[in-house]
Amino acid sequence: MKYDHILVRYGELTLKTKNRMMFVGKLKSRMERALNSTEAVVRANRDRAYIDLNGEDETQVINKIKHISGILSMSPVVKIEKSIDEMKEYAVKFANGFEKESTFKIEVKRADKNFPLKTHDIQQLLGTEVLTHEDHLIVDVRKPDYKLMVEVRFDAIYMYSDVVLGIGGLPLGTGGKALLMLSGGIDSPVAGFEIMKRGVEIEAIHFHSPPYTSEMSLDKVKKLIDIMSKKTGEHIKLHVIPFTDLQTTVHDHVPDNLSMTTTRRIMLTLAERLATEIGAEAIVNGENLGQVASQTLTSMFAINEVTSMPVLRPLLTLEKNEIIKKAVEFETYETSILPYEDCCTIFKPKAPKTRPNLEKVKQFESKMDITEKLEIALKNHTIYTDEENNSEEFTDLL
Amino acid sequence: MIYLDNAATTKPSKEALKSFNQVSETLFFNTASIHKGGRDAARLLEAARGQILNELGLGTHHLIFTSGATESNNIILRGMIERKLQFGKTVLVSELEHPSVVNVLEHYKDKINLQFIKTTPQGVIDLDDLKEKLNDECILVSVMALNNIIGSIQPIEEIGQILQSYKKVYFHVDATQAVGKVTLDYKNVDALTLSAHKFYGIKGAGALIVNDMNVIDPLLLGGGHEKDKRSGTVNLPAIVGMAKALRISNENLTQKNDRLEQFNNKVRTHFNDYNKMKIQDAQSPYFINLSFVGAKGEIVVNALSELGIYVSTTSACASKSNELNETLLAIGNKNDVIEGSIRISFSQNTTEEEVDALIKGLDTVYKQLGDILHEV
Repeated sequence: MKYDHILVRYGELTLKTKNRMMFVGKLKSRMERALNSTEAVVRANRDRAYIDLNGEDETQVINKIKHISGILSMSPVVKIEKSIDEMKEYAVKFANGFEKESTFKIEVKRADKNFPLKTHDIQQLLGTEVLTHEDHLIVDVRKPDYKLMVEVRFDAIYMYSDVVLGIGGLPLGTGGKALLMLSGGIDSPVAGFEIMKRGVEIEAIHFHSPPYTSEMSLDKVKKLIDIMSKKTGEHIKLHVIPFTDLQTTVHDHVPDNLSMTTTRRIMLTLAERLATEIGAEAIVNGENLGQVASQTLTSMFAINEVTSMPVLRPLLTLEKNEIIKKAVEFETYETSILPYEDCCTIFKPKAPKTRPNLEKVKQFESKMDITEKLEIALKNHTIYTDEENNSEEFTDLL
Repeated sequence: MIYLDNAATTKPSKEALKSFNQVSETLFFNTASIHKGGRDAARLLEAARGQILNELGLGTHHLIFTSGATESNNIILRGMIERKLQFGKTVLVSELEHPSVVNVLEHYKDKINLQFIKTTPQGVIDLDDLKEKLNDECILVSVMALNNIIGSIQPIEEIGQILQSYKKVYFHVDATQAVGKVTLDYKNVDALTLSAHKFYGIKGAGALIVNDMNVIDPLLLGGGHEKDKRSGTVNLPAIVGMAKALRISNENLTQKNDRLEQFNNKVRTHFNDYNKMKIQDAQSPYFINLSFVGAKGEIVVNALSELGIYVSTTSACASKSNELNETLLAIGNKNDVIEGSIRISFSQNTTEEEVDALIKGLDTVYKQLGDILHEV
């Protein structure tokens, strides 16, 4: 089947009334950005958008936009002349792609009330036509395996049967900005995607302790940023904080079983300062209640104490396998499981406290002065975006 | 020397050789090393991988690098069969396949029900026959994209569409001859194999492209290169040369092919009314398969070789075997036509002077063989 359009249905933004066109406008520009290397053209109106494929492959176009938040679903569509013969011909073509012995239904929307055939007539006509050509199919109007949709509009007739689900949510850029704590593991990229789904833009922060953490583990985090950027059509900024000095200071001053708590407190302190600097209104992390020692309620209480900024934890109550499923879907999983030392694994104490005592932690911390070290870490941080990666360093060779 | 055996192998392009040398000199590192050199090499490897996938319009597929098409075909066909044997036994394959496909399938002949899809006289597989042979018990269909004997182009897109209704069936395409010569839609293909040296790359580099990495059951176990699917230090210089060669052979492909079409027609027109010669139809302008009826192909190849013109009998890989060529048999040729056949294969760099010398050479041999030949 040669499709010429993609029909894009909006998600939750349809609940908006007065400012809906602002949301639609944001969504349109996101789609345009994702498709800027193609010939496809986006037309967005109040209720839905059409992408004119201009010869582009429908699957590739859908793959490029399906992770954009705000899209409920997409359908590859053929636009045909308003002729009965043509409608019949295409109905059979569609049915040809249905699996043997399956059930189908023809659904008609007749916006053009002047079209000579009524809704029911079209259903009957096309149903009969399909059954004459594909006699192994069965009509089932209640729970069909396939739905062939026919929309009779003023300009043309649109036909489609596939519906590809999007991720829903709200268009990115309509919900402010947050700072994502990105470790390189499975959870944090997923947390980022979840927050972005709600229309919130993100930047990311990562703590790097060379030589204890390798360049490869930093490359891995950059690769996660590349994937997240590609999926969302964004150029997500990654702030890399040099953390070796702070990490060794903690190691020298705080007993092994509490060092994790202090380290996390310092990370959160730095995250809050950076968030303020970049104009973010919240911090996001991939914490999951009870998953590891730092993610027990008592630990969260002790760590969270350093900031008054909201710390959003979209994965808080999910099962690990649900998180993995999402990571696979967002295509970050394979990168996340690459076996390099990340900032959480190298100074890992043998038996971190699952119920750290905040007063004790503060007592140890009071003996180390890190004010200047925090300043230096923030001042010396570097920024990476996926655009760097697109640099054509190997053009000559390739 | 006039080299017209490009379907057997091509001369590496200057650009590919340059990349090969540069990478050998400056980025010779092991892509699995964790120092900066190794990481740079690994990034180059990934860039090459991405570029090749994009050139083939398969940006969302996965690619592992191998030593060439024979290895790729061995890995994937074994993997697919082993994985699917519990669901069915029927394997459908065209009659036109290369030995690196057929011999792997023959290896499994006691376990699978191997059936050959019929071929039309034009050398294209018969889609009606395919539809007829497909059933719920079928697990694999393997069809080469561009035939290496007569240059017929197979309807890969249509086959892919037909197979959409058979979710269980894996679709494997040996695109070794097609890549760099013709643009095809491989969207619905589950696995694709290719080899660098067929499109002006360096020998010893090839690729296996799949839409699902789980289908690959590695043949080589070891250090875990290529995501555990093909261990062994990665041949980065040759791989980079392959990416470069592919990009360059795909550039202005239509114009290049139009030029070869003219050369191809020139040869065909010249020999059109030679009644002791038979020329096979071809779709790809890179191929001419022609028979000196009554002689043995090998004699013609030797005679041309004396004149400094290098061509081939059937396919180089099988040139030394004495069996009749399956492709020519499949499209309904008589034995004497098959025995007397030679394959001439152009490259994108073939010149008109070379084509003229070929025509002259063929004329000389035609006269030389005289009475040995007889009418078709």
